[in-house]
Amino acid sequence: MRGRVPEMLLGVGFLGIMTTLYLGLNWAPSVSINAFESPAAQRIFYWHVPSAWAAFIAFGVLFVGSALWFFKRSPMGWRLHVAGTEASLACGLMAVWSGCVWGAAEWGTPWDWTDVRLNTFGLLTLLALFLVLGRQSQPDGVETRDTFSTFGLFGFVLVPLTYIATRIWQIRHPGPVIAAGDDSGSLQSEMSLVLLIGALSFTVFIIGHMLISMRITHLEQRLESVQKSLDGGN
Amino acid sequence: MAETLLRLEDLEVSRGMNKVLSAFQLEINSGDVVVLHSENGAGKSTVIECSARLLPLEKGSVSHHGALVLDHEGRRNRPVHPFGLTLQSNGLVGDETVENHLMTVCALSQMTADLTPLLESYGLAHRRHDRIGQLSGGQARKVAVIAGLLPAMLSEKPRLVLLDEPATGLDQSAVRTLVSTIGQLRQAGHGFLIASHHPAMLECATRLHDLKKEVVNKPSNDNAWKAIGQPESQSFVATKAGQRYLRSTRAGIARNGLTALLVLGTMMAFIDPSTISDRTLLVGLTLSAPFAAGLAGDPVLYLLREQRAVDWWRANVQRLPSADLFAPLTGVAFTAIGTVVFLEAFDWKVTLIGAFVLWFTMASVRFIEINTLRLARPNAVFLRLLLPILILPWALVTEYTATL
Repeated sequence: MRGRVPEMLLGVGFLGIMTTLYLGLNWAPSVSINAFESPAAQRIFYWHVPSAWAAFIAFGVLFVGSALWFFKRSPMGWRLHVAGTEASLACGLMAVWSGCVWGAAEWGTPWDWTDVRLNTFGLLTLLALFLVLGRQSQPDGVETRDTFSTFGLFGFVLVPLTYIATRIWQIRHPGPVIAAGDDSGSLQSEMSLVLLIGALSFTVFIIGHMLISMRITHLEQRLESVQKSLDGGN
Repeated sequence: MAETLLRLEDLEVSRGMNKVLSAFQLEINSGDVVVLHSENGAGKSTVIECSARLLPLEKGSVSHHGALVLDHEGRRNRPVHPFGLTLQSNGLVGDETVENHLMTVCALSQMTADLTPLLESYGLAHRRHDRIGQLSGGQARKVAVIAGLLPAMLSEKPRLVLLDEPATGLDQSAVRTLVSTIGQLRQAGHGFLIASHHPAMLECATRLHDLKKEVVNKPSNDNAWKAIGQPESQSFVATKAGQRYLRSTRAGIARNGLTALLVLGTMMAFIDPSTISDRTLLVGLTLSAPFAAGLAGDPVLYLLREQRAVDWWRANVQRLPSADLFAPLTGVAFTAIGTVVFLEAFDWKVTLIGAFVLWFTMASVRFIEINTLRLARPNAVFLRLLLPILILPWALVTEYTATL
């Protein structure tokens, strides 16, 4: 039973995400038509914000894994790094894609190269893509692990920058709607509830995803070591 | 008492998923010729490359002439004295002439010398003005070996020489000359660490080491080498080498200049600036060419990827040759053209900003590229995915420039 925990988390998370989608599209109240150019498109928010939240968790795992490998040479650290990059990429793409759709409807343009929040988050997603593709292009070894964990550590600088971007340089992307520090932009209770379900569901889903990814990396490492012993190497 | 030229203490080094060296100790004193002769894959080249500060250490430290040059905590200091290095790959830039490369080695030792007798002894005197890329494999190997021996040949004081498979690719006559030179330099007090299986190399060793144990060997005695170098103060050797590479190859024009020209030409073909009133957009068009040229990367680093020349340079200097002078000049040229085309008058402020944009972009791309050089397949990595990080700063600079 214990060995099935990642699959269970993945399943529960998936159900939660589907529930969030249903509630977000059918139950959550509509926003004021005066406050938004495209009120209907605002419902993408219930997908966009939780996926961005899950991406930040994954970026955090990527950072911790990179640090553990780089400073402690921990094999568990490398597995966390791999799991973190894959989850960051998946969630990052979900957030960027949904943001582009929403942006196209609301602002009339899917992207703005001068908006700091958009760009730093997009770069984090590109960094995750670079790490995933780069790792697949190289043989596993300390050189590969050192190089990519260094990029993981450097790249994490973008996370706090992304977080504070809308507080310091608000250009297009709206400011925080939760924990804004005042009443401006706070949500109605039904909206908050759907958002909370979404955030929890994405969190559970991404944890399950990362646990499965770590298991796969561990099995890959075992396979490589078995192949080496068959080759007669050390 | 003989001076210790190289000390490797408790080295632990991993390559790939294997621990190649563990608790490895070695000391090379003045007058030693230590030949590593273990089987393939045992770690001979790893020892040489660690001694040359090219590989990071999991544990232990490397010292030259008693001063720390590399340790497992990431310290990487420039050696107090120059040392000779011949890598298994030659570490040569094909567009460099034989003489220029060897004079660069002299300059790194703060020396100059008449190289004619030396080149004659290796049968290369008639090729001294030829580009290394035009030489045969054996001739290029001779150049790499001479470059490795030169710091010792120039100096009266003991120098360390690291040679990785120096006899590979050399003809019988060149091997005899090499063995004789090593013997003479040993008598003059220089120290050698050589990785080789060649019988002639084994014969000239004072100690034979198989990475587990070593045995003492007694080579024949030669006359001591008489140093050929004359002191000559040299500065900015790597910078000058970078400019020379660019002059001889036109790589900067071919890569960055043409990129800027293509961007400029494409925009001129499709955009009529007289129909645009938004100054930010016009400045953006002006700064596009230097930005694109910078994204093409440092042309010198591109040249240094040949035959591991970048590793040879990394071993010898702290800062690699670069296109740092070429970048702002190219930026000035293309931004000046851009201001005339898109802003309808030359604007020196925008031109200077364009020069900075090209230099900064190129330096950033170089930084990212250098950080991936250690990978087993550095060309297979998707570096361009990281370059959009430069778009935001460029956009912000463009917005600011438009307000000037």
